[in-house]
Amino acid sequence: MPARLSLLLSTVLVANLAVAEEFPNPLPKEPIPNVQTLPEHYPTTWAFLDYSGARFELRNVGSDAHEAKGNLPARESTAALLVSTQRPEIYLADTVWSRGSFGTRTDFIDIYDPKTLTLKGEIVLPGPRGLMSPREGTFTFTDSERLGLIFNFTPGSAVTVVDLVGRKVLGKVDIPGCSLAYPTGERGFTALCQSGTALTVRLDAHGKVVGRSETTAFNALDNDPVFTSSALINKVRYFPTMQGNVQSLDLSGNEAKVLPKWSLVSPEEAAQHWAPGGWQVSATDEKRLMYVLMHPDAREGSQKIPGPEVWVFDVTSQKRVSRLRLVRPGVSIAVTLNSEPMLLVQTTTGLDVYNAGTGAWLRTLQLPGLNTRMLIQPIH
Amino acid sequence: MKHFDQFTEKMVRGLASRTSRRSILGSVGAFVAGASTLPLLPVARASETSPPELKDDPPLSTGNPQDPGDPSTCDYWRYCGMNGSLCTCYGGSTNSCPPGTEMSPVTWIGTCRNPADNREYIISYNDCCGGVAGGRCQCERNEGDRGVVRPSKDNEILWCFGTQSQSYTCSTAIILGTAISK
Repeated sequence: MPARLSLLLSTVLVANLAVAEEFPNPLPKEPIPNVQTLPEHYPTTWAFLDYSGARFELRNVGSDAHEAKGNLPARESTAALLVSTQRPEIYLADTVWSRGSFGTRTDFIDIYDPKTLTLKGEIVLPGPRGLMSPREGTFTFTDSERLGLIFNFTPGSAVTVVDLVGRKVLGKVDIPGCSLAYPTGERGFTALCQSGTALTVRLDAHGKVVGRSETTAFNALDNDPVFTSSALINKVRYFPTMQGNVQSLDLSGNEAKVLPKWSLVSPEEAAQHWAPGGWQVSATDEKRLMYVLMHPDAREGSQKIPGPEVWVFDVTSQKRVSRLRLVRPGVSIAVTLNSEPMLLVQTTTGLDVYNAGTGAWLRTLQLPGLNTRMLIQPIH
Repeated sequence: MKHFDQFTEKMVRGLASRTSRRSILGSVGAFVAGASTLPLLPVARASETSPPELKDDPPLSTGNPQDPGDPSTCDYWRYCGMNGSLCTCYGGSTNSCPPGTEMSPVTWIGTCRNPADNREYIISYNDCCGGVAGGRCQCERNEGDRGVVRPSKDNEILWCFGTQSQSYTCSTAIILGTAISK
């Protein structure tokens, strides 16, 4: 053996012996199959992110590890998700066609186990669900989460009432000229109407209508309509309006009560044309604070552009308590419900996470596959 | 050079999206291993000059001076209430759907000012349904959008009603007539 080759082999041997000394045991055998599970009750530092047609991603937004904890499939860009706080179930309302983009249409609610994210049931709906960008009021609970309400749009309007515990459809309620469904009272919902009013429908335990009432007109649809993204605090829904006001509806009783409108902006800010804008423009700590995504130089058509600031209001005093400048303009916002709440801000490329109290930026999560605006659902 | 960088990035991203990590590593490994055993051969280059620069598509025109602007861009006057993909990028036009799709008969409307004759026109943004949703030529201006509470002024609804397919392809911007001035 040539001397040079012999030297080379000796060097390799010594190096291998050194590595074997550092790692005396091989890696253990690993089991197959092996599937992760999740806790039955998710931490409040997690959130579901609606990728609008691709999936619902369960993400740990409270960790610098940025972990994706799991995904639920969405077949249609308009799929809607509800996470029960009363029983271990997640509900996903969706739509498919038998031949992909055409053929027989089926609307349904899939029921998932939160621990395994596996399907544990399905309720086929008479349809047709309203197919529109993800937003509040298209799929909601009422009756302490026993009933589910699906907003239908054909373009006629109706609400399908579903017994989520009994896993059956109870009926359909026509709401001509009105849209969406916000839980109201013990067992009912309120829809927003083209006449500028709100229609409240009361249901019995079997999902039958037992009463209807309509408010006076409050929604100035021509010039200052409400955003349908609201902040719910003590059963009062606070809706920002396009011109920078707040219109509140008390939905605690059998009828919606229209509360006085108040302004988010001072006269000086109004002169600079500060106004709400984005997609999910409102968020709340569910105690007293309302967060609103704001942009200056508002004009006709700017109501969905990303906003550079989030303004925080105490809904009791109707005063602003802080003004948070974002590191990047935001499209949708939400607030987590943990002891140190985080403000979640979807941007055009990712999710910026802030300390909701101080406004300090904490981290940015990449959102691969995001190509549109999203609806963020923090875990309760 | 910028276009070349973008092209390269697109190629690499496209390759990444179609190829698993294992397969790309395997291919690179085979190429590297093979390279060491192959002699370096002279390569006949098709051209010694740098490849032609990629340019943007040329602007479209209606050919009618009373209907000015480029209908393949979002700032074309009829698109003031638009939110969607422009049908001019899919084989359709401002007032027709691409072949193979079907036009929804109901939709949302807007009011846009024509800069040539300074008139306000009512524009119907009929969706074209049943074709390929490519995501090209996205345009969002939202003037006059008032949300789902007034559905005829909501551009976030999938308006493929009364069509065989409810799969969205693109949106047109059709003149319904003149409006009373704002």
